[in-house]
Amino acid sequence: MTKPLLDVEDLRVRFHLRTGTVEAVRGVSFQLGRERLGIVGESGSGKSQTGRAILGLTPPPGEVTAKRLAFDGIDLQTVSKRTLRDLRGGRISMVMQDPKYSLNPVMTIGEQIIEAYRAHRKASKAEARDKALAMLEAVKMRDPGRVFSLYPHEVSGGMGQRAMIAMMLVTDPDLLIADEPTSALDVTVSMEVLRILDELVSERGMGLIFISHDLKLVSSFCDRVLVMYAGRVVEELEAKNLREAKHPYTQGLMRCLPTLADDVRPLPTLNRDPAWAL
Amino acid sequence: MLDIQNLQVVYGTGRMRVDAVKNVSFHVEPGAAYGLVGESGSGKSTVLRAICGLAPITSGRVSVDGAAVTTPRSKAFYRTVQMVFQDPYASLHPRHTVDRTLSEPLAIHGEKDAEARILQALKEVGLGPSFRFRYPHQLSGGQRQRIAIARALILRPKVLLLDEPTSALDASVQAEILNLLNDLRRRLGLTYILVSHDLAVVAHLCERLLVMQHGEAVEETTADALRSGAASNTYTQSLIQASQGFTRVAPQTARAPAA
Repeated sequence: MTKPLLDVEDLRVRFHLRTGTVEAVRGVSFQLGRERLGIVGESGSGKSQTGRAILGLTPPPGEVTAKRLAFDGIDLQTVSKRTLRDLRGGRISMVMQDPKYSLNPVMTIGEQIIEAYRAHRKASKAEARDKALAMLEAVKMRDPGRVFSLYPHEVSGGMGQRAMIAMMLVTDPDLLIADEPTSALDVTVSMEVLRILDELVSERGMGLIFISHDLKLVSSFCDRVLVMYAGRVVEELEAKNLREAKHPYTQGLMRCLPTLADDVRPLPTLNRDPAWAL
Repeated sequence: MLDIQNLQVVYGTGRMRVDAVKNVSFHVEPGAAYGLVGESGSGKSTVLRAICGLAPITSGRVSVDGAAVTTPRSKAFYRTVQMVFQDPYASLHPRHTVDRTLSEPLAIHGEKDAEARILQALKEVGLGPSFRFRYPHQLSGGQRQRIAIARALILRPKVLLLDEPTSALDASVQAEILNLLNDLRRRLGLTYILVSHDLAVVAHLCERLLVMQHGEAVEETTADALRSGAASNTYTQSLIQASQGFTRVAPQTARAPAA
């Protein structure tokens, strides 16, 4: 096997609060190549904190420790802040959940993409502008020139999310972390956004970490899935083998969803075994 | 039970005019559950809000139990029709205890024996008396939604308007709330109008449903037709397909003949 793009071993995220220490992520290990990895879990399972910890975006007073946290051979724990800043947005990017809150409301979409590009690549304004327009076209904006000069409040949720993807991919990163990139969007729009993401990831040979609460969506989109519960990975499986999940939590999550295919009444509910959290 | 004829909801005038709901009609029998499905901006929530008086009825007729509703709605209307909102984190007063939240509708309607009614309502939604003096922040999302349902049920309404009651909840909690809603409908003989963007949730809870797009009714169909994939409308088809999860273009065409 070739050297993994991302190597995470025993990642822990702790928050020291007045009321005691909360361990949000408790010993997560995985390796990522140039593939699509899904991280699934319910709220509070630590899936988002895992994504943030990789980028060094754990909010204070959070504390991150790991036996190994390496991106392409670079140790992310010992690296200088300056190098980390170059990596972030340059070689590792992150797409957030809600474009309404993650885009700068007082800058046009075009300016924001140019800023992201020029922060990491030496380029003249004109070059960056061309690159930004090309990127807007790559995310299937109907009229890139017009979208370029629009402010975030002037575009719909789906367009905003595509603009954010354009901004994150303009530097040609090696790794993209997408934290619930479609949960603020309508189903048909989110399929469109996923299709674009899928194309770009496979065309450019990026690694993708796709964080979501939606097991069905993740299993249909990713190659491999990590299922998280209470800060731990309880199960790792090939997305296509999701139906053969072994862990009772994964099985329970699968079963409790109503489906169009069959009508189960009452829906089976999840009996949480305290042992899962140990 | 509920009859909507040519409902139209318009906001603003002139250049600012927005036709949120255009000419929507449907009829719901007593004891039935009716679904409204569509994407954001399709007007599905506005229909619900127009029924209970939170949105203006520009033209058309809304009748409950055979009688046209009055604006503003009467007290008797709210005894018959109650609503449960999407986000239980926003719809409960953060500084009111469960007890106070549940006693307010009783006080407004001059109901006696609040104590017994509150305990009864808590029991109906599967919560014990120990929850009575808690604040919303001391409850989980699912427990909060149960309180919101209890608040709606405490006046013994006949119709419950449910606006995305599970979309803010985790999948496992969603299953619990859906089971509770099914159970309550059977036991209390309630009529539901459910708004949701999730076809599977609507098919689970409702027998009939209306698909909406851009404020217009696109297709009225049944849950059974949805399950068998017998939707005639292309928009409904695209919603069904999107609800099955992500499909890569190549395998999708390969799979089409098999399905």
